[in-house]
Amino acid sequence: MTSAPENTPAEGKVYPSALAALEGIADGASVLVAGWSGSGEPEKLLRGLAETGVSGLTLICQGAWVPEAGVFGVGDLVAGGQVKKMVSPMPFDPEHGGPVKDLWQSGELELEVVPQGVLAERLRAGGAGIGGVFLPTGARTRFAEGKELRPFNGKEHVLEFALKADFALLRAKAADTLGNMVYEGTGRNWNPTMAMAAAVVVAEVDEVREPGGIDPELVITQAIFIDRLVLSS
Amino acid sequence: MPGTPLELNFVVRRAAQELFSGAVVALGPGLPCRLPSELINGSGVWLVSDSGFLGFQGPDTDAADQERQPVMLLPGGAYTGVVDIAGILRGGHTDVAFLQPAQVAANGDFVHWTTGATQGLFAPGPAVDMAYGASKVVAVTTHQRLDGKSNIVEKCSLPVDGAGQVDIIITDVAVMNAGPDGLELVEIAPGWTAEEVVAITDAPLTVSSGLKEMTFQVPTLEMPNKVYPNAVEALNDVPEGSTINVDGFAGPGGMAHYLMVGLRDLGVKGLKLISNTAGVARVSAFGAPNVIDHSILVENNQVAKATASYPVSPSASRPSAFEEAYNRGETELEVVPQGTLAERLRCGGAGVAAFYTPTGAGTLLAEGKEARNIGGKDYILEMGLRADYCIIRGHKADTLGNVVYKGTSRNFNPVMATTARITVVEVDEIVEPGQLGPEEIVTPGLYIDRIVLRPPDFSAYL
Repeated sequence: MTSAPENTPAEGKVYPSALAALEGIADGASVLVAGWSGSGEPEKLLRGLAETGVSGLTLICQGAWVPEAGVFGVGDLVAGGQVKKMVSPMPFDPEHGGPVKDLWQSGELELEVVPQGVLAERLRAGGAGIGGVFLPTGARTRFAEGKELRPFNGKEHVLEFALKADFALLRAKAADTLGNMVYEGTGRNWNPTMAMAAAVVVAEVDEVREPGGIDPELVITQAIFIDRLVLSS
Repeated sequence: MPGTPLELNFVVRRAAQELFSGAVVALGPGLPCRLPSELINGSGVWLVSDSGFLGFQGPDTDAADQERQPVMLLPGGAYTGVVDIAGILRGGHTDVAFLQPAQVAANGDFVHWTTGATQGLFAPGPAVDMAYGASKVVAVTTHQRLDGKSNIVEKCSLPVDGAGQVDIIITDVAVMNAGPDGLELVEIAPGWTAEEVVAITDAPLTVSSGLKEMTFQVPTLEMPNKVYPNAVEALNDVPEGSTINVDGFAGPGGMAHYLMVGLRDLGVKGLKLISNTAGVARVSAFGAPNVIDHSILVENNQVAKATASYPVSPSASRPSAFEEAYNRGETELEVVPQGTLAERLRCGGAGVAAFYTPTGAGTLLAEGKEARNIGGKDYILEMGLRADYCIIRGHKADTLGNVVYKGTSRNFNPVMATTARITVVEVDEIVEPGQLGPEEIVTPGLYIDRIVLRPPDFSAYL
């Protein structure tokens, strides 16, 4: 596991560049990437990750669908050959394919495909200090293969273990310098859960405000979960 | 010569007949995503999008549904995260899920269409969560593939994404019930005979004695009225012996005082309270007026049991009403650490049957519980916790039941709101849908059954 730096910069948690904010990431790291299959991804951080040149990464994310033209997405990172494995509920667009499908078919990329709610729950467990959870999802299917089964309330449940990663790359609308964050619209989806489930949490934000600049009733991700911030532009 | 298969819009309209007013509805990719545009004004049900929003209709450019069609939040819609969506799907909150399988078997097994499209790659997305979580699972599909093969089969030929989960199959020629007893043909498209449907179905099909022709009238749905005139009306069906979740730290914040008084006035006995404290009135105020809390129920002999993390008074010389009742042998007590209580409630509300927590491992709290070492750390198994009723304290609610809180009132209320069969909220103000912003809603209205206004002149003090 990579640990957060001992000395945070004078600007609170704000780092000057994506590359600086990714300091310490190493070959073989596991990385959570927020966003939704090509939209709402932390593009600047993904470009920064490409720039680091680290390899053998395990990406945990919704999937790698083809983003808008000119946008650098998860699929582009995978296409660059830095990713060894992806854990995802919908790794690529089933109709249009893309680099993830190509590299998976040629055996260069390993895929672990999990139901969306199971992935969410495993990350939540990781972030909340829960060792494992018994879920009804996927009982008597391949998603339960090799896993411990146990009946509760007359229904078969599957034991799923907590999941944590070395880094999380998030995307938010605004943060204060302490790291309290708000999202916009569906940008919320994976971010708050992933924010709790990595050793080093880096968020790309459109705007950085002074502490107090975000209404405490509206904060979605609390500052204690955020290690580093970088402005999106 | 059989009739012509229905246009897909008609299949979707027939599918809409599975809805009812106020239903919580999950849509998988493909045909189900056509449902919102067939609904009149899109209102009357809660549409859940797995990408993180509730309550929508198209078109708009700011949010995208499963099919990447632009959609628009309705007034009262809210944004939420995937972990909460998973809880909504799995925790018994979703009434109907619509999926488009590539194959569906007579016993309700199904192969999600993305699996077929990706030739062996498992791409479940949220479909598995929907199938295992929803009360009713509706498969919407064409009866046959373009090559003439039946999508309805005796046994799936690809690995299944759900075992025995589909309840109803709606196709472009028929409606069938699926399940352990096999397929039953209940409706046929206009121009078709039962024999013709049987002939193109690759599974044994029993024809219902009440076989009907499919109709395509989309039902008019309305959100049920949730606003009750007062606390007593909102709680007068609470049966004796009910389990009730109630927020309550030591101070006045977060507690549904007005509903608590309503419960006291109803006098219903044998209540099992799940709460952080078991009431600290008479001990915390120290000269100030006593705050209304659990104690009024205890003193009225209504409490049979408390599940709590702070069940006793901080002062040995000033015992709480619950402590006195417990010492007299009138009540039972289950002591749970605060975080374990919160987690048990969260799991109860999110359809997680049980979980391994490190809290209390190796202590008295672990007695009688399964211990397990995971990755070198000791954990104990704790069970999800649910209740019959929940009384919560919000600041504002809209008439759909979306709630925002004030300050620390947020502590146990949002998690408790997800755990009960009937959840009643008490608020300072009731507003119209749309007046609480989709980014600020903390408890989505789909969790709330009843709303009461706390009278402006109501005092939280005895």
